[in-house]
Amino acid sequence: MTAPRTSSGFITRPVLIALAVGSLGGVLFMAFLIEFDHYASQNSFCTTCHSMSYANERYRQTVHYNSASGVRASCGDCHVSEGIFAATWDHVRGGKDLFKQLFGPDYDDPVINALHLPEAAFAARRWFRDRDSVTCRRCHLQDAIQGTRADTAAIHREETEGKSCIDCHYNLVHRTVPDKSTFKREAWNRMVEEQFGLDPGAADRLLGGH
Amino acid sequence: MSIKPLSVPFRSLVLVLISFAALPSVAEKVKLDPGNWGHEAGSDCVSCHAKASSGLAQQWRDSAHAAAGVNCMDCHQAARSDIDAIEHEGQVIATIVSPKDCGRCHVKELEEHQGSVHAEAYSIIEKRLPALADNVGGSPMRAASCDQCHGSQVNVRGDGTLDPATWPNSGIGRINPDGSKGSCSSCHGRHRFSKAQAREPDACVRCHSGPDSPDKEIFEASKHGMVYAAHRDEMNLDAGEWVAGRDYTAAPTCVTCHMGAAGKLPSTHDVGLRNAWSLNTPVSKRQFLVIFEDGHKMELAADEAAPRRGTELRRADGTLGTVKTVATPERRRQAMTLVCLECHGKGFTESFMKQFDSVVELYNSKFGEPARAIMAGLYDRGLLTPTPFDEPIEFMYWELWHDEGARGRHGASMMSPNHAWWEGMYLVGRNFYSAFLPGARALAKEHTGTLVDAVLRGSEHHRWLDQPDQTSAILGLGRREGD
Repeated sequence: MTAPRTSSGFITRPVLIALAVGSLGGVLFMAFLIEFDHYASQNSFCTTCHSMSYANERYRQTVHYNSASGVRASCGDCHVSEGIFAATWDHVRGGKDLFKQLFGPDYDDPVINALHLPEAAFAARRWFRDRDSVTCRRCHLQDAIQGTRADTAAIHREETEGKSCIDCHYNLVHRTVPDKSTFKREAWNRMVEEQFGLDPGAADRLLGGH
Repeated sequence: MSIKPLSVPFRSLVLVLISFAALPSVAEKVKLDPGNWGHEAGSDCVSCHAKASSGLAQQWRDSAHAAAGVNCMDCHQAARSDIDAIEHEGQVIATIVSPKDCGRCHVKELEEHQGSVHAEAYSIIEKRLPALADNVGGSPMRAASCDQCHGSQVNVRGDGTLDPATWPNSGIGRINPDGSKGSCSSCHGRHRFSKAQAREPDACVRCHSGPDSPDKEIFEASKHGMVYAAHRDEMNLDAGEWVAGRDYTAAPTCVTCHMGAAGKLPSTHDVGLRNAWSLNTPVSKRQFLVIFEDGHKMELAADEAAPRRGTELRRADGTLGTVKTVATPERRRQAMTLVCLECHGKGFTESFMKQFDSVVELYNSKFGEPARAIMAGLYDRGLLTPTPFDEPIEFMYWELWHDEGARGRHGASMMSPNHAWWEGMYLVGRNFYSAFLPGARALAKEHTGTLVDAVLRGSEHHRWLDQPDQTSAILGLGRREGD
């Protein structure tokens, strides 16, 4: 004769199995996300798309790529937030880049890429500002900044109230793009035309086509 | 009763006299209400720049601008739509402070400067420049040399940055992104803008020195420079008002004669206003100063009658201007003479001017005009290619007027005997007789008679060449010592 089941008998075998499977699945899923975020933050992943090679080109000439000490900031170090949920969210949002790469303008074309670059730069700067440049602060501790010039430390202590890193340090790693407030599309298009030897007006036509 | 209309020269004399009388005799004070400056963000700029570039911040702190409450933003602020506007620490600014920016407060100085030979220093040579700067030199030479004095055409790139081929530049005829011409900091070193510094002869040295315009060297070698060096501490260079003969009498500087107030003569930011001659041309001309309706000005050779009021003339930058008034070379000379008279007698001054004019006329008739006629003949006959500087004689001719000839004429104008002769007209003569003429004859060959000899015979200055038997001891040969 079996003992009568009590109200505490909620932990039944199926529940235990479900918990075990769920936990394992959860752990595996988390591990997957960690691995995925890690994988998808690498330079080699980002530059899988040809369009990213243009951003890569400039970056490789900066100290964020080549530093004497061997410290190197990867794409993800700057452009993906810390923490599994934030990182995953950034990657999910970044999926729109993939979508546009597949279905949008031909960003692999260096001219198209250069013409669309300003909007990308504005969006990236906004992203940094919204997060108080948190990815910069992964490596750079404001209190610890000494600089090589006489008063760099004092400037970072005394002149930064209400400012985020990106407010001053933009155009640091990628091609120079003016701040949105003074950006002039007309002048940008003429510059791109000159750079690629295009007829005046060609840039406007290329942009209008999309 | 009919009133006879005044002749153009007389009318212009009256107009210029009226304009002189209407102007104060000292540097113009800014008359705007101080509410026009003192931008609220200025203190933030200074706080950071005292650390980030302490030199310029300190220079500003030592300036009259700082004392008057004029801060960084008052000069550097820009509108978003300005072609060279950039975002900087939350403010919209422009790196370049153009004469137009300075002219927001310094109205009179801007008006005088616009259209002057200084403001037009780039426009005047823009079309001629490539043949020397690019062909003989190369584009990096423009940025490092020509443009540093004449000014660059500042190029703002599509990414908002200033093209390093055209900036930094403090050339006095700089074409700024806002279209204005010039660079006040060419003479008024930023960010201190010291009166004393701009009044020093050294303010001019960066450009007015060297083989083609050794004005620094000429000044230093002149009596003017000699007394200046000896009595520099009596020059009162820091004075608010600086009228020659009243606020200082020890010596003149470049500014004294070319720009400064003297007695009743008002100061001017048109540096060429008092120049009766063009001295940096193949052949010197007495010149009109044409003043246009829109306030711009232009130098015009006084070969023909002065253009009448209302006439349309094409200017150095290609635009058309309507003539408002014309200052004659005589009137301009009169203005310069007023400066001399603060220290010299009338007879002394007029006789000096005669000595100077005679040198210019000698250069013109003996070397400038014949050399130009010979070159024109060689080009006309196709004996020279049209491209300048691809044949040796083109360098000879260029140096004859542009370097040696300019040195001689400047030397005579500012009283350096050494530059008038040894560094100037002697070299003109040596070049002309020992290099240029033999070179021209070699090119002209059978046409030597018409292209070279006929030109020489047209001037009495070269008759001595027909007397080859006149011995002299000057070469240390021939006659014995004491003969």
